Amino acid sequence: MAKVVLASALSRWLPESAGKPSEDVALVVPGARLDEVLSGVFERFPNLRGYVLDEHGAVRHHVAVFVDGTAIADKRNPTQMLSDRSEVYIMQALSGG
Amino acid sequence: MSNTLLVSTRKGLFVLERAHGGWDVARTAFLGDNVALASIDPRDGNWYAVLDLGHFGNKLQRSSDQGRTWTECAVPAYAEGDQVITGDGKPPVPATLRLIWSLEAGGVDQPGRLWAGTIPGGLFRSDDHAASWQLVRSLWDKEERKQWFGGGFDQPGIHSICVEPGDARMIRIAISTAGVWGSDDDGATWQQCAQGMRAAYMPPERAHDPNVQDVHRLVQCRDQPNIFWAQHHNGVFLCTGPDGWREITNVSPSVFGFAVAVHPRDGNAAWFVPAIKDERRIPVDGQVVVARTRDGGKTFDVLRNGLPQKNAYDLVLRHALAIDASGDRLAFGSSTGGMWISENQGDRWAMLEARLPPVYAVTFA
Repeated sequence: MAKVVLASALSRWLPESAGKPSEDVALVVPGARLDEVLSGVFERFPNLRGYVLDEHGAVRHHVAVFVDGTAIADKRNPTQMLSDRSEVYIMQALSGG
Repeated sequence: MSNTLLVSTRKGLFVLERAHGGWDVARTAFLGDNVALASIDPRDGNWYAVLDLGHFGNKLQRSSDQGRTWTECAVPAYAEGDQVITGDGKPPVPATLRLIWSLEAGGVDQPGRLWAGTIPGGLFRSDDHAASWQLVRSLWDKEERKQWFGGGFDQPGIHSICVEPGDARMIRIAISTAGVWGSDDDGATWQQCAQGMRAAYMPPERAHDPNVQDVHRLVQCRDQPNIFWAQHHNGVFLCTGPDGWREITNVSPSVFGFAVAVHPRDGNAAWFVPAIKDERRIPVDGQVVVARTRDGGKTFDVLRNGLPQKNAYDLVLRHALAIDASGDRLAFGSSTGGMWISENQGDRWAMLEARLPPVYAVTFA
């Protein structure tokens, strides 16, 4: 179980049925490991998978995932264990242009 | 003549419409987002827009109401184990979709068929209006692919797809950098078709290797489908039949550029927007001009009426020059946001009253 926050840059791509929020979206998602929690997010919002992960399941180069304030180190294998009180932030890496 | 233009830019899609004798922005979509390309499916009127979201990857959107509402489609995906292997010494890396660089409709007898050319070099096929995609393995698995390399990008990419109007099994694609590949059997088999091109940037013994030719853009004449024009990294080439490509060296003021357009009925008529050269990608003398031939490259007119002739540093990218189905209207946009439209094959140009973001692609609807 973890609280998952989708940054507004990401949540704005949610489908119309999700209300197209312009703010961060917070969800509570079951799962003991990060990949299980991410799968739960994608079950709820299937189109988000391709925004967060590439076609091989790695977290995209310009997407950052923080667990309890620390960026995950292994984007290709996001399987770290979570606690019941873990907070997962999915946000865009910062870049300009 | 087409009265609608889709302008894909770094900061959104701009829909231009012609009314009261002039062109104006009628509406926008994806404002603020990077729109790499727009494509029209003439069979069903659907519009497609490729979004190149820096953080979240490539996305494809479809509109069935001329851009008023959009629905997200599937994008091409590479499989586990697919590798990008290049001929320029870079180490192999797993293939992931970097960019949908070209998107074209299939034949009238192939409803739902779309072709997508991508960086890192895979051609994909959809038979369900982009609900799903399949990698064309008959091309991807070619041994020669391991010699392809990127031109401007780290990895090779398919930027041009020509589907013969009268026979959709005949497909020609151009790759930067891997020449021109063709299939005469709807993509079942492929062969290199860049014989006759010359690569000035390669060691002399490789200069005429078709598989290293950096084609910037390939276009096919609609009514004379045996005629192709290519704007290449170091020149302009014309192909009129089985004898292969012939270099056209007298393009004025320069043979360097990215874009080319061919008249839909007259394959001898083609347009280019030259820049100085590879190392100086700006207009010659700070003057934006269009080079036009009407005699298959024997002679060129330099068209400048209505185009900026002082302190102009506009570069026109490969998808940013278009001609409409009538062959009279042309339009081009620049990497510094300039946009010009001609109603008379380039004799006179009118500038759009707008300061657009950098223009990546221009498409007549």
